[in-house]
Amino acid sequence: MTRPLTEILPEGQALLAAGRPEAVETLLKPYLAGGTGPILLWKLLAVALRRQGRFAAARRIQEMIVETVPGDLPARYDLADTLLTLGEFARGWREYRYRYSLPHTRAIERKVQRPRWEGAPIPGETLLIHDEQGFGDTFQFIRLIRAARARSQARVIVEVNQAAFSLIQRSYPDFTVTLRGQLPPPFDYHCELMSLPAALGLELADLPGETAYLRAAPERIERWRARLHDLPRPLVALAWAGRPTHPNDASRSLPLSAFAPLASAGVHCVAVQKGPAADEEAPAGLALTRLGPEIADFEDTAAILSVADLLISTDSSPAHLAGSLGRPAWVLVPFEPEWRWMLDRDDSPWYPRHRLFRQGRPGDWPGVLERAGDALHNMTGNHASRTPQKAAS
Amino acid sequence: MTSPPRSSEPQDLLTLPDALRRARAHWTAGQARQAESLCQRILALHPRQPDALHLLGLIAYAYGQLDTAVDLLRRACAAPRAAASYRSDFAEMCRQCGLLEEGEAAARKAVAQAPDMAAGWNNLGIILQEMGRYAESRACLEKVLALEPENAEILNNLGNTCLRQGETRQAERHWRQALSLKPDYAKPYSNLAKLLADRGQYEEALDLGRRAIALDPQFADAYVNLAALETERERHPEALKWLDALLAVRADHPVALAARALVLAKLERLTDALCSAERAARLAPDSAEAQYALGYVLQALGRPQEALAAYEQAATRPGTKAEDALVARAVLFMEQGRREEAEEAFERVLARFPQSVHAWYSRADLKKFRSGDPLIPRMQALFDRGEDLLPGDRMVLHFALGKAYLDAGDSTQAFWHLDRGNAQKRATFTYDADETSRVIDGIKDAFPAGLFARQPSLTVASTLPVFVLGMPRSGTTLTEQILASHAAIRGAGELAYVQRIAGDIPGYPHGVQAACADRLRDWGRAYLDQVTVLADGASHVVDKMPANFLHAGLIHLLLPQARIIHCRRNAIDTCLSCYSKLFAGEQRFSYDQRELGRFYRDYERLMDHWRAVLPSTHFLEVDYEAIVDDLEAQARRMLAFLGLDWDPACLEFHKTERVVRTASVNQVRTPLYKTSAGRWRAHAGQLRPLLAALGLEGEP
Repeated sequence: MTRPLTEILPEGQALLAAGRPEAVETLLKPYLAGGTGPILLWKLLAVALRRQGRFAAARRIQEMIVETVPGDLPARYDLADTLLTLGEFARGWREYRYRYSLPHTRAIERKVQRPRWEGAPIPGETLLIHDEQGFGDTFQFIRLIRAARARSQARVIVEVNQAAFSLIQRSYPDFTVTLRGQLPPPFDYHCELMSLPAALGLELADLPGETAYLRAAPERIERWRARLHDLPRPLVALAWAGRPTHPNDASRSLPLSAFAPLASAGVHCVAVQKGPAADEEAPAGLALTRLGPEIADFEDTAAILSVADLLISTDSSPAHLAGSLGRPAWVLVPFEPEWRWMLDRDDSPWYPRHRLFRQGRPGDWPGVLERAGDALHNMTGNHASRTPQKAAS
Repeated sequence: MTSPPRSSEPQDLLTLPDALRRARAHWTAGQARQAESLCQRILALHPRQPDALHLLGLIAYAYGQLDTAVDLLRRACAAPRAAASYRSDFAEMCRQCGLLEEGEAAARKAVAQAPDMAAGWNNLGIILQEMGRYAESRACLEKVLALEPENAEILNNLGNTCLRQGETRQAERHWRQALSLKPDYAKPYSNLAKLLADRGQYEEALDLGRRAIALDPQFADAYVNLAALETERERHPEALKWLDALLAVRADHPVALAARALVLAKLERLTDALCSAERAARLAPDSAEAQYALGYVLQALGRPQEALAAYEQAATRPGTKAEDALVARAVLFMEQGRREEAEEAFERVLARFPQSVHAWYSRADLKKFRSGDPLIPRMQALFDRGEDLLPGDRMVLHFALGKAYLDAGDSTQAFWHLDRGNAQKRATFTYDADETSRVIDGIKDAFPAGLFARQPSLTVASTLPVFVLGMPRSGTTLTEQILASHAAIRGAGELAYVQRIAGDIPGYPHGVQAACADRLRDWGRAYLDQVTVLADGASHVVDKMPANFLHAGLIHLLLPQARIIHCRRNAIDTCLSCYSKLFAGEQRFSYDQRELGRFYRDYERLMDHWRAVLPSTHFLEVDYEAIVDDLEAQARRMLAFLGLDWDPACLEFHKTERVVRTASVNQVRTPLYKTSAGRWRAHAGQLRPLLAALGLEGEP
């Protein structure tokens, strides 16, 4: 090796940050020739390959890393992410158990003092299923609790976060649902919500399973139907930014101004965006009603999505909420997607009414919005010849 | 979209029992923050409240804060009415920080308080096991197994204690039962892996070790055991891979660092080895593994006094490493020629570890047995233990007994043991005699006479290195010892440098012909630089690596002024001597009479070639039998060959105070007797396969 690791590594990271993953490959090639070299460089190469959408190549390297250093748990989590993106569910879910072995997650692992349910029948026992970090995760994976109950033959308690609590309680009246942080009733086994796929042996072919499994509150739907009654149809809900603290937020969130190509489609938009991005300036010509200040919680968002004709959203919780309500959504997906959107497809096995608009190259939001705008044109053309769609309730 | 979590706890109206009940329930549900906050509220009012202290300790422990946890539990257990289970938990945490005495005291209080509590007896049992008090440990664990016969952890622990008591079958039964009860339990897999490796069932052991790692990817023991397995079958780079894989994620693991030091030492990477061993000893000064590794590396580096101190340190600790350290200490005395101290040291090992086969093996090497020697029945009794004797131990005893019976003149008994010991060793590795013949032919072809004529002026002209080479057991150690007794000569022992240079030459041996003069000079200088450090001001340094006979041509090419001494000895005596040894290093040809004979013939063929192509001014052949006949004549002949004056010290070679680290360590410490010349004749009947391979069936 002609240069020390302490020089190559930051240079590679700088190239990645500058959006030049192919230059990272060139940089690393001489140091990794012959299949040997420091693990840190191999990890960097895997990241650079993923950035270029070359997940199969990244997978081979990540598998080699795990084979060489089995105890490197973050490397196993990285492999899980790649495998799930590729739809390799069996090993993907198995390695996904290391999600709490990362430097920033170790302290937030929930150390439940009862055995974890691994998928065996436990008739007569009580199983506590508890949700985890993201709201989107809860919306997406709550669909598995019925399968878990059937498989375990246990009495199931579901513990969820405050924001999703009432939605889930209403949608699963036959389950005991408790609030995160409060004492659940006594239980014998537990399972994290995102460990259910591993326990159930969830395969790609099992998807979507339950659909339209969440139900918005009827009184909220009525309130929002009245609130939105005067707005012209079709009515398109918009969300453009995720939680700013999400590790991948920079690549998944986009500015509201990027939605300019939608303006000419002649639809009326309602912004369901919350948080600091909610006040961004709208592009000229876009008919936009901002609902952010009127939205108190996910119940409001769920009701709005139930009334609106379509959600166009970045990869964040409203996209999952729409999917779990069975409402149509167009999701704007970065070039290097989160694992759940997988690769090379414009549908989602998880949500049959979703349509995915993927970046053709890293950072290309304009291209994505152009295509979304065209699709919207086509849709409104069709839409004009039909009677206004009645919202689900 | 979220509103702040509503508080649903009745904050102010709790009684102490209610608060504790809620705190425990929160912790059961993994709600650490809520449990902690309730405990803190209790402690604000009652600072020594044991239940709250205990629960906080358990939470700290779960999040990996062992020191905090021990501190909290110590305070919890200070209360006179502390529950037995708190003391039991405290005992286990003490064990994990190495506080064995404090842990034992706590566990004993726990079991006195609650004699039916399984955890207390279990924790006491494993503390006693770590203290080396196996009988007591076993009693505890058997008691607790009666309370909970289906508890896999207890079965695993009991298996470990049985193993340390030498009851390997019983240990295996316990581990297998633990796995039948709990198939995803990593520890018994790793323990079984170690046991099967010791029995030579390497592939099955490897599989079990891998399963342990699949279940628990950061389980250190599994990596250390797999490394030991690879070391056992001489695959040192593989051993290093397992240890590096562990150290990549647990950089400060002292046992892994110690194991790595030993592997590096076997790979002759002594500087790195020392670094690793010192780091282990710094991180865990009380670790027997660390001190043993430090001793081993220091000994390899020729620093016997420091090595001895490290071995002494390791010997004070409980466990099996103390046995290794005591044996190593005895062998070190042996290498220094301190015979009586070595004898005493062996007695010390055997007093504490009567079943130490390695002590018996080295001791058998040191001693000259007579018929009816009282040590023979002691070894025989150990051997007759039957099924519990590990195959590895059985093999070592075969060689020890074989040596003893050879000495005592009992040919039948001697070969009964030697044939079995050799066959067992031979089964642990692969060896291809045809391939060896091809390699030797390749070397012959690659070094024709004409090769040595070119560009002599550009090569390294030093006369410092002297190479003593030949078959193992052919008198190379003796020759070096005679030479090193001369004031102008240092003995450097068996150096791996030439082999390493050969390994670095692309396409060796034929690749040598394509190498330019600059490269040849670089390689020669690389060798010279390394031995110059060892010369310590002497004009000649002896490298007595026997296997350098393969590279005599390369040596002459790189160092044309270096002198080469070829040690010769009667073929059958040489081979018999090889066959009676369990070599520390790799001598794969030596464990089957036919392969051994074939190897000898290959060696002879190559030496015939060197004799033909190397100049007699630089290549001398010395017969072992001639040295035995007339030491002075041969010593003078060698010194003349090296251009040195006579030094009478060479006749007193057995008194020379230097460390000798080869299989011949004990022979060079005695004046020459004609005991070993022609000794094979007494065993001709047992040596038929060898004689056939040598083409000497007709020998009288």
